[in-house]
Amino acid sequence: MRFKLNIITVSLLAVSGSAMATNFGVGNANTDSINMDKYQCKRCVSTSGYRGEVSVSAGYNSVDDIHAGNALGTAEDGAIAAVSGDIRYQNETGYRAQMQAHQLGMDNGFANIKVGKSGLYELELDYQSLKSYQAGDVQSQLWHNDGMLTPSPYTNEFDLALKREKSAIGFNYGEGIYNTFIRYSQEDKTGHQSSSLVAPSPVNFGLPVDATTKQLDAGASLSGDNWLTELSYFGSYYSNNIKDLSLPHMNDVYSATPDNEAHQVSLSGQYQLNRTVMSGRLVTGRMIQDDALIQMSGNPLQSWDGQIDTLDGRFAVTSMLSNRLRLGGSVDYSKRDNKSSVWEFTQYSYNGLSGSFKQNVPQDIERNTYKVNASYRLASGYRLQAGYDRKEVERSYSEREQTNEDSLWAKLNVSAFDTFNVNLKASHGNRGGSDYEVNEVTSSQENALMRKYYLADRKRNAVELNVNHSPLSWMSIDVTGRYAKDDYDATEIGLTESQDFGYDVNLSLQFSKHLSAYGFAGQQWIDSAQAGSQSFSSPDWNADIEDEFINIGTGFSYGGLMQDKLTLGGDYLFSNSISDTSVGGSLVTANGTQPYGDYFSYNHSVRMYADYALSKQMALKLSYQYERYYDTDAAQVATNAVPGLTTLGELNHDYNAHQVMLSFSYLLR
Amino acid sequence: MIYRVFYNLFCGVVTVLCLSLSAHATPWQNLTGEQLEQKLAEKFSAGEYSSKGADSCLMCHRKNEAVMAIFDGTHGMMNNKQSPMAGLQCEACHGPQGKHNKGGKEPMIAFGKDSKLSASAQNSVCQGCHNDPKQMAWHSSTHNLEEVACSDCHTLHSAKDPALDKLSVNDTCSSCHTKEKADMNKRSSHPLKWDQMTCIDCHSPHGSMSESALNKPTINDTCYSCHSEKRGPVLWEHAPVTENCVTCHNPHGSVNEGMLKSRAPQLCQQCHAPDGHASRAVQEPGMDAFGGGKSCLNCHSKIHGSNHPSGSLLQR
Repeated sequence: MRFKLNIITVSLLAVSGSAMATNFGVGNANTDSINMDKYQCKRCVSTSGYRGEVSVSAGYNSVDDIHAGNALGTAEDGAIAAVSGDIRYQNETGYRAQMQAHQLGMDNGFANIKVGKSGLYELELDYQSLKSYQAGDVQSQLWHNDGMLTPSPYTNEFDLALKREKSAIGFNYGEGIYNTFIRYSQEDKTGHQSSSLVAPSPVNFGLPVDATTKQLDAGASLSGDNWLTELSYFGSYYSNNIKDLSLPHMNDVYSATPDNEAHQVSLSGQYQLNRTVMSGRLVTGRMIQDDALIQMSGNPLQSWDGQIDTLDGRFAVTSMLSNRLRLGGSVDYSKRDNKSSVWEFTQYSYNGLSGSFKQNVPQDIERNTYKVNASYRLASGYRLQAGYDRKEVERSYSEREQTNEDSLWAKLNVSAFDTFNVNLKASHGNRGGSDYEVNEVTSSQENALMRKYYLADRKRNAVELNVNHSPLSWMSIDVTGRYAKDDYDATEIGLTESQDFGYDVNLSLQFSKHLSAYGFAGQQWIDSAQAGSQSFSSPDWNADIEDEFINIGTGFSYGGLMQDKLTLGGDYLFSNSISDTSVGGSLVTANGTQPYGDYFSYNHSVRMYADYALSKQMALKLSYQYERYYDTDAAQVATNAVPGLTTLGELNHDYNAHQVMLSFSYLLR
Repeated sequence: MIYRVFYNLFCGVVTVLCLSLSAHATPWQNLTGEQLEQKLAEKFSAGEYSSKGADSCLMCHRKNEAVMAIFDGTHGMMNNKQSPMAGLQCEACHGPQGKHNKGGKEPMIAFGKDSKLSASAQNSVCQGCHNDPKQMAWHSSTHNLEEVACSDCHTLHSAKDPALDKLSVNDTCSSCHTKEKADMNKRSSHPLKWDQMTCIDCHSPHGSMSESALNKPTINDTCYSCHSEKRGPVLWEHAPVTENCVTCHNPHGSVNEGMLKSRAPQLCQQCHAPDGHASRAVQEPGMDAFGGGKSCLNCHSKIHGSNHPSGSLLQR
């Protein structure tokens, strides 16, 4: 009996042994026989001192549309200059410093400095400038000054571009079992963006942007052999320096975005028990907005006490039950509790002052997500994964107060062949929910057949096949094909169907130590269908939207030329975005559909460079970039082309832009 | 004299063996992944570390530039007590030398795409030290479930890890995420293709406790971290905006302006069909205020919500 018991015990131990993870962590090392006093590290290389490079660039931009500034780093037309660098310093006692700068002096650039003692503390300073260009030389008859938009016969010319300038300072301290951090940042966002007001006919105008966001984050973490926990705080403060906008004959025609703040406190942790790992988090948050409201008759408040309380929680567990089988699951909870007060405010209809009172609608949203998944190794190199996800959403004051989506998915990974990897994924999802009701508060005038696509019943099927092939040691090719279809079965008016399919091919070639090349090509199509009813009954028009995207790229790098002094390289990219809409149905034409007008863009981008080492310390780089960009949108019309509508003009782009840069780099050590 | 001849002979043999091993198949190449892991686990628990640490390894491997590049990076620092080079040196990560130097008959723990060792076994080496809050959600993450090894993204034997460089991290991610790589080049997208933004501004590659491994608790919180003006709350909310930014936008890019899934008026008409102007068939875009200029947004410009007392129609 004792012998049998021992056999059972040994068997159990063997089973549990096989289920133990292979853990090569240094903490598990058997160091009994080590005598580190004999370690001299004579062959080790000390890298104390400065390393890295600093470069100064000067060049010329040929830009006749500021949109090119997105790709060229600056929209400056003419001479340009920038400083870049990547320097590291360390000394024998463990002090380290790192500095990275990229295109400082251009509209898009950054600098980052980190100094500290390895594994103990670090101070970080960060600066980033990011400018995005939409259109240049935009014309409007409205001039903005201190909240007043004054019409003038003189044209106001400005750029639709936004600049973000962010500075940050951070400090972290800690070693081994504890770590702490604090980080403060401030971002200023300035420029103009396209907007529109009703006066009472619509007038597009350049909305001035001048806002600041401050962010303060801090946290502390503790860890043990098999556990980890972190407590952190995130605070964000947004303030807008642009006031509510008025016209001389119409006060407060456009309300400013109000200042707001948000706070979150997060407690998270992880616990590992052999091959089972549990992790969880609880985040409680509050978003506050109590900016002064526009004072007008029919507004009972000086300021509104907008407040959202949030609670987000998660618990996840994953376990390797054996070397073949892994099981996992998670539960997520998210609650948005709108605590803002409800009042009645006068509303104006668009054609006059015949208003009526309306209450604001403080919507609550609650989400629960449940996931289980399993991964099973069928044989060496064959792995099957499958899972079930359920997403429940509950929202107040909505046409559909509850929706739930069930999804089943499976993946097969095959890595058994030396030169092939195959991954196949498939999923099926089904969304349903409570009765869809036209709600008095939200949409008393909505067509009863309308099903808003984010609330509607939906069947979603998707499949994806990926094959990675390395026929030769220097060649790798990756091919992926995808197909997904959304069916909105119960929808008669609204989005009824959507298909998204495409492929991409990526080729990577490493001909030699010095010569490498790549190429990729891909296409994607998104076809969607929707129906509408102008007669407020059954569908009498429909729209088919056919989106297509083409993307092709290739490039090479050839180094080691002229006794390892010269490297040549080049990249080419082509992208083409097309969206074709056609409107049909009994209301439109008896003979088919009506094409909707052009809406596409294409871009050719070429970059070439030659990098020449003057000496061990110095190098010159000559680079050239060419951008060909064209986009069109038939909705863009001249300022007064449509009676009753004032636009900012046709903001389409059609340009060639060039950039030539010569950089001098100095290598430290 | 005889001693010297033997010594020279021994050094010669060792050198030839080292060179031949670096250029040719290793004796453990025919082991399956499981056999290799078993062998390495036995070797790891036996703990037969070399007597001279890195010097023992570099006797053969010092001519390999890739090996020596470890000293350019953090992991090669000898004065940082948390660095492997300040402890068990090469063997801290590659395991005890055992009989590896005696004719190269025993394998070492190896990393990278040619390693037969399972991702979880490779990763256990890294996780032995890197057990901080950034890795807290790793085990339930998609990258872990897909058996991605740390070394698939990270490079240690170099002065700088491309995955930690703002100017190259997007290339690291998009080498596998090819759909997202293509999306960057669509008519509208976040400025990732020029490295002005990075994938990790929104996502945590080591996993997070949020959906899609986002950095913030929810999708909207992630968007608000740069678009704080959209956070509100405001008096008059637009319900799908409050519920989920990706109801209307695809943050990876779109063939439409503004990263919208469809453009106005069609996008708006996928939810609005009232007894009024919003349900009319707009047959051509530039003919009237319904299809021209900013379409529905000509009037309903406060589409993300309005704080005007009379702004319930998001017009002011």
